[in-house]
Amino acid sequence: MKLFYDMPAGDRAAYDAAASPDEVLMYCVPFNVWQERFVSGWTAVTDRAIYCILDGKVLSTTALERCTVFSTEVLYGNCAFYGVVDGTTTLICQFLSGRNLPRYSVLVQACEDLAKKRRESRAPGDPVVNEEHERFCPKCGRPFIPGTNICPFCRNSKEVYKKLWGLTRGLRWMLFFPLFVSVISLAIQFILPAIQRVAVNDYLTNESIHPLGSFAEDPHKRAFLLIFLAIITIDLVQRVLGVIQSRLSAVAGNKFTLMMRTLLYEKISTLSISSISHKSTGDLMGRITGDVNAVQAFMTGQLPSLFTQAASFVLALVFLLIINPLMSMFVFVPIPFVVWLVKNFWSTMQNRNRKNWVLGYHVNLFLQDILNGIRVVKSYGNEEREIATFHRRTDRHAAQTESNALLFDTFFPLLGFVTRIGSYLILFYGNYLLFKGTMNYGDLHQFNSYANIIYGPLIWITGIPRQISAFLTSLGKVLEILEEQPEVADIGLPIDIDIEGDVRFENVTFGYDSYNPVLEGINLDVKKGEMIGVVGHSGSGKTTLINLLMRLYDVTEGAIMIDDVNIKDISQNALRSQIGVVLQETHLFSGSIRDNIKYAKPHASDEEVIEAAKMANAHDFIVNLPDGYNTMIGEKGYSLSGGERQRVAIARALIHNPKILILDEATAALDTETEKLIQDAINKLSKNRTTFAIAHRLSTLRNADRLIVLDKGHLAECGTHQELLDKKGFYWRLVMAQRQDSGMLDKADKILAAKKTATA
Amino acid sequence: MNETKNAAVKEEPKKAEVTEKKTEAEAEEKKETAPAAKEEAKEEKKETPAEEGNEEINTDDLFKHRVSINLTPENAWFSPSAGGLISLKIINAEGEEEFFERVVIRRSFPVTSPDEFLSVREPDTRAKGRGAEIGMIRNIHIFDQTTVDLINAELDIRYFTPTISKITSAKEKFGYTYWEAETSAGKVSIVLNNPFSNIRVLEDGRIYIFDMDGNCFLIPDPAALDRQSFRAIEIYI
Repeated sequence: MKLFYDMPAGDRAAYDAAASPDEVLMYCVPFNVWQERFVSGWTAVTDRAIYCILDGKVLSTTALERCTVFSTEVLYGNCAFYGVVDGTTTLICQFLSGRNLPRYSVLVQACEDLAKKRRESRAPGDPVVNEEHERFCPKCGRPFIPGTNICPFCRNSKEVYKKLWGLTRGLRWMLFFPLFVSVISLAIQFILPAIQRVAVNDYLTNESIHPLGSFAEDPHKRAFLLIFLAIITIDLVQRVLGVIQSRLSAVAGNKFTLMMRTLLYEKISTLSISSISHKSTGDLMGRITGDVNAVQAFMTGQLPSLFTQAASFVLALVFLLIINPLMSMFVFVPIPFVVWLVKNFWSTMQNRNRKNWVLGYHVNLFLQDILNGIRVVKSYGNEEREIATFHRRTDRHAAQTESNALLFDTFFPLLGFVTRIGSYLILFYGNYLLFKGTMNYGDLHQFNSYANIIYGPLIWITGIPRQISAFLTSLGKVLEILEEQPEVADIGLPIDIDIEGDVRFENVTFGYDSYNPVLEGINLDVKKGEMIGVVGHSGSGKTTLINLLMRLYDVTEGAIMIDDVNIKDISQNALRSQIGVVLQETHLFSGSIRDNIKYAKPHASDEEVIEAAKMANAHDFIVNLPDGYNTMIGEKGYSLSGGERQRVAIARALIHNPKILILDEATAALDTETEKLIQDAINKLSKNRTTFAIAHRLSTLRNADRLIVLDKGHLAECGTHQELLDKKGFYWRLVMAQRQDSGMLDKADKILAAKKTATA
Repeated sequence: MNETKNAAVKEEPKKAEVTEKKTEAEAEEKKETAPAAKEEAKEEKKETPAEEGNEEINTDDLFKHRVSINLTPENAWFSPSAGGLISLKIINAEGEEEFFERVVIRRSFPVTSPDEFLSVREPDTRAKGRGAEIGMIRNIHIFDQTTVDLINAELDIRYFTPTISKITSAKEKFGYTYWEAETSAGKVSIVLNNPFSNIRVLEDGRIYIFDMDGNCFLIPDPAALDRQSFRAIEIYI
């Protein structure tokens, strides 16, 4: 992310005039809004002050030594950057959130740091460098396609084509042979009118020919038969070539799609969570299916068409000019008009169809909304009102459909007439020449055939730029994934170790976005076999801590050591195969329970499966299912209850006997009874294993050896249950808060019971 | 001694539950709750002996919130702060005078009633999290003009919603909508992704547009736009 922009000369001069010569300019970022206007101003931060510069004038100067806290605030339609100057909050500038919020978030930290150093008269140090990706094209300033680094306006299409060429390796002949075939087929198409001309001129309209006898004697008859056969052969050859071309295209297209999908899927699987989580599942699925399809359709459908259409246009043009240059003028005169008309007609129709689609979409949306909530509608007695709304929407949709149909049905035939203007002109002039005797009928026929060919490509080509740009966008999205480097990568020679279970966090700092740390300075030493409970408010960094331990992300600073080896040096495979994870949202795959339990260890024996299920307290319920361990679960199968799913997940985590076990809110969504079953399972399995358990319900953690309390990314407290209660700090407050919620009722019960015994 | 005191403090929330059933025997009950409480405190002690002797902490304090008041010219005085923002002095629910160096004003109904139900709040901070509501202004016009201007100036910064007067060019490329437009805040390039969800039409015909930069634009009356501009938005509404 860019934190140092070059100001334009005028603004730079204003800065130079305002700042003293030995001041060091550290950061310079744009601000976008000033006094309710869009502007292009600059926030320049030096080691001493913040200058806001606009149109060659310094609007404000804020001395850093008078400042303490800086902050940003997202407002409506823009954001504000505040600084606390002499204890008073001051608005420094306003900027646009989409463009500059990440930049100013870095600036907040940087300015606070600079201000502190300034007050303590220390050296300012080097400016912060931020590796975050830009979301806007540095060249044209337009936004990138979200989730990508592609600017549709500035991309280098040459490079994209080059990469595509590389991708087609092994498939090239398959992709280009159809092209070759279609060219042949095209050439033949152009021979046909020429032969027809001969047939017409020499035989059909030739009055000097009189049938003389048998085929053997009459050369005319033989020639005529030859022409007849040629016409049939040409037609046949053309069709055969067509079949070959379509078959090849289908095979090549399919192969290409298969290859691209496999490549993409492999790549996505190997990318680290951090790269994937930036993109939504829908987006990734769209790229694997939709975008690959679009690329394939272009390669095997539109590209050959483009080629043949262009070739047939050129050929037809040449032939027309050869036959009669003057008459070909008649073909060209109406072309600009026709193309203009066709283009306009279609764009109008497209707009109208689009509008129609939107209105239909609104109707659907309404139906979906209301039908889903039909009970609510009925229970509030609002049927009448909803019927009226529905009427209003369908009426609008119907009116638009009608008007579109009327327009289309009126103008489309007219359009057909207009496109034929050229033919009428030819007919007129051609007949004139015929009567005059300067042209014969066969030539006219041939000319007319070519003239008809020329309009097709012309109209088709008007749609080409749109198709190419859609293709390039899809291709860009596919290529972007293929070229992405996994952020979490194994080192050159990763170690495969057998994990014992000692875990140490050394000064760990991490943030999903580098400007916004989620964890800061975590130090923790866990002996093997210990059970650690992790508590804290939501958003305090509990799950992040776990993600780091599994190395789904790499730490920003510090290190995580397992058995005194940095986890960056352990191969990801070895690491994760020795960690067992149970999450709150259990995902079981479609398949049998047996398959699901074996997921972590594909070659496990059935004994192992049963053993794991027994440890997870899942065996009993599984055996009671009609199909036992072979019960199909998932999308189309038997639906397990939350507790059952959870226990299957625990069995899955246990089967490979992990040395480190992670339980992330594994029991949060369950009722107390199931929780107890699972709790028992957890107690069993956490023996001799280093266990990290996250829980909101503190009772879940009563068996933990130690508890750590996270607060806003810091390790607030660490110790046994007792130690933390004695401290009366954060943990004690959490315990009290939960007592207030859940303990109230049973305390009341206790009092009542006590009262009863007292009176009795 | 400590035990009973402690238990008595904790008794508070439970009472509400219990008293319903035994209102008729108030006096008797008091005698009896004492041993009950004692017993209960003992139980507590088994679990968490650490709690013993912390009678000075009332757990209810953990859940205390500021009482929001109705702000009127009689109990609230807004003034410009040294930092160009708004300061506020109020007489709070307890009748005490309180001063806030900076307050934040939010509209409850920014779209339908921008002048009514203004929520006056403490600013959100990193240290304390979300700021509490100090009070509400039922209608801004109960205050004198100077105050109204002061508040409106702050609201104009917070709700920056330029009005689009003309769309000079509209292109759709790669699934994105690119507009060049003239607005009350100057000329601007607007890029919209997914225009169907980012262009919202209200029941009264006003159109709100949210672009990828985080801008918010308003078209108060689409029918009043010139033909070219109207055609640009027509297909989305």
